[in-house]
Amino acid sequence: MGARRPTPYGEAVAERLAMDLVRAGVVVVSGLALGIDAAAHEGALAGGGLTVAVLGTGIDVVYPAANAGLAARILAAGGTLLSQFPDGTPPRRGNFPRRNWTMAALSDLVVVVEAAEGSGALITADAALSLNRTVMAVPGSVFSALSVGCHQLLRDGAGLVQNARDVLAELQSPSAVLDDPMRLPEGAAAAPAGGGLLRHLSDVHPVDPGELARRLGLPLPEVLARLTRLELEGAVRRGGGGYLRVQRRTRGCGMHGAGAG
Amino acid sequence: MACLVGPIVGTRWPAGKRGRSPVFIGGVAGAVFGLYPAAVVASVLGCQVHGLEGHPVEVQVDVSAGVPGFFLVGLATGSVREARERVRAAIRNSGLPFPLRRLTVNLAPAELRKEGSGLDLAIAVGVSLAALGRSSPPGTAFLGELALNGQVRHVDGVLVAARSLARHGVRDLFVAASDAAEAALVERLRVFAAPSLAAVVAHLGGEAPIPPYAGGPPRVEEGAVEHDLAEVGGQEAARRALEVAAAGRHHLLLCGPPGAGKTMLARCLPGLLPPMTLEEALELAEVRSVLGELPAGRPLDWTRPFRAPHHSISTAGLVGGGSRLAVPGEVSRATRGVLFLDELAEFQPVVLQALRQPLEEGRVVITRSGGPVTYPAHFQLVAATNLCPCGWTGDDRRPCRCTPGAVQAYQRALSGPITDRIDLQVTVPRTPPEVLGREASGEPSRTVRARVERARRVQLERQGVLNAGLRAADLRRWAPLRPAARAALERWAEARGLTGRGFHRAWRVARTLADLDGGGPIGEEHVLEALGYRLLERAA
Repeated sequence: MGARRPTPYGEAVAERLAMDLVRAGVVVVSGLALGIDAAAHEGALAGGGLTVAVLGTGIDVVYPAANAGLAARILAAGGTLLSQFPDGTPPRRGNFPRRNWTMAALSDLVVVVEAAEGSGALITADAALSLNRTVMAVPGSVFSALSVGCHQLLRDGAGLVQNARDVLAELQSPSAVLDDPMRLPEGAAAAPAGGGLLRHLSDVHPVDPGELARRLGLPLPEVLARLTRLELEGAVRRGGGGYLRVQRRTRGCGMHGAGAG
Repeated sequence: MACLVGPIVGTRWPAGKRGRSPVFIGGVAGAVFGLYPAAVVASVLGCQVHGLEGHPVEVQVDVSAGVPGFFLVGLATGSVREARERVRAAIRNSGLPFPLRRLTVNLAPAELRKEGSGLDLAIAVGVSLAALGRSSPPGTAFLGELALNGQVRHVDGVLVAARSLARHGVRDLFVAASDAAEAALVERLRVFAAPSLAAVVAHLGGEAPIPPYAGGPPRVEEGAVEHDLAEVGGQEAARRALEVAAAGRHHLLLCGPPGAGKTMLARCLPGLLPPMTLEEALELAEVRSVLGELPAGRPLDWTRPFRAPHHSISTAGLVGGGSRLAVPGEVSRATRGVLFLDELAEFQPVVLQALRQPLEEGRVVITRSGGPVTYPAHFQLVAATNLCPCGWTGDDRRPCRCTPGAVQAYQRALSGPITDRIDLQVTVPRTPPEVLGREASGEPSRTVRARVERARRVQLERQGVLNAGLRAADLRRWAPLRPAARAALERWAEARGLTGRGFHRAWRVARTLADLDGGGPIGEEHVLEALGYRLLERAA
């Protein structure tokens, strides 16, 4: 579980983690919300595994509507949609914490990816602890407000998640099928022209092309042209008012040249 | 004109004999038709302004025997009917004779609706001339409101009226002293600054000629640069976008957190555009003239307008409107200049919809009960917006607190028919303090403008219009792509699912970039840079 408006980093982590975990035979449970939840479901589907979406609405109400397609694909892949609420229950503020309790109760282990201070994900982590579930957290950038909650959990004794191996160790099912999570972003190697440029880009914080031009001492038109070329190659993308390095193939971007993830 | 002296009265006109009752005289005079001046008709030219068109109005004055009265006919609406009282008082207080007989004033053509007070002077001159038995010299028109003491006052739309009167063969025009400079902008027109009705009548009688207004023909000047690009710290991407926007007359969208300097950047655009031509300055002056916003004495403003209406503006306020005959709105006030819409997403959708016609045609046609009027709306649009409702997306000082749904709704509101017509879109990040602290390193507006003017010359010599006005067929003809450039554009279109419109937008911008580079064929680097100025494609 995690933020509904994550950073690209958080989204990438959730997706990657879910994909690697389902390949190791783990079932991913999440809440079909936007952001981290959706990324986790997508990752599980991309890994060819099973995933369970626990709804905060009636089973016949898909909320948010943007995830209707995702819900259909979960079912098509053999996954489950689950709800504790009667049919036709619309989204209600009070129902989501109750849904989160159910999610925690269904799971053996809860991983929190990106949670702001005092956010719903933290409240759910507390619920999981009181249900005697293991809680783990993914660290984030110290510059990001969305890391504060996770870092607080880590400080309080939650397990550290760097990759799926950490989670599997906690679940006592060691695995050898995992990709190396530390490898270089795809596209970086294929784009030597942008090499110097990529080094100045972050995968968490959007960088403004003007600032990039200033740092590199290059004229802005050239920087923009090179960024567009990298974008065409799938090595960078736009977001949050600037350019980001693409960690791995990101959903929905649909850029060809990004290679098969 | 008949000017028989009635033997019964014994003097030329009964005007000087106010004490005597003309009713009895009229009774006799009516019986002795022919002895008395049976019908004295004077004809004087005035003008009725209808939008940006002036229609000559012939004021016909008939003085005939009958019960004294003052009848005003010829589709004169309320405000023109009031002219009777002003004219009567002004004539009397000017020491001129007022015929105490049956006075009929016809405003021809009768099917044209007359409004306002601009016909006061023409009516008063007509009545005075008729009373004196004189006629108006041909090719002379009168324009102005009358005070009760006979002074001539300012009316709106003098420039518009003067231009159309000149087209209709008028050579001499009498206007209020405060309107003389405005009327004198029209070439081939002799303008007389009329202080009062009495002075005009004296001039026409040859007793005390008024010297023609010596303003000389308008001279082209260079407007002041009010906001210089040199004052902007950092913001390389936005500066470049401003230059490209100015060069190709592309509309521009600035996205960024509050306080990033979007307004300041927008204000720099007028200073990057080439100086106004006389024709452009006159077009703007006409709009201001109709609105009554021209300063007396200095009617032509050579600084390109910058209009920044608040987002609570109504449709009528933006494109023009009004109850009977529309008055110009902000789009026309911004003609030949910049219309800046800050907080674009906060504008009501129907208000933004109304921008479509002016954006496409450079003019706006508004129909009210009084009929359609056309105003120029040849503005360049600069819109600014945050990336989310709270505005903090893209700023690392504060986290954004907006719900995902709210952000989606916000961006949906943005990607509408208007952003569809904006060729250039850039993000404007908050400038880091360390950059602000540095001494200004940016180029001054004057340097950028020199490049803009060069690029515009290239475009006009090649195709006769600026690049923003190129349609798809024109692009194929005037904007050839090098093979690599075409490949990049096509690859992008395929990957992003670009619509035809989006494709042409990027193509047009690439054309302008190549023109800033001297005007050769479009290279790959131009296309790649142009694609860097697209933000809202995915939301569409």
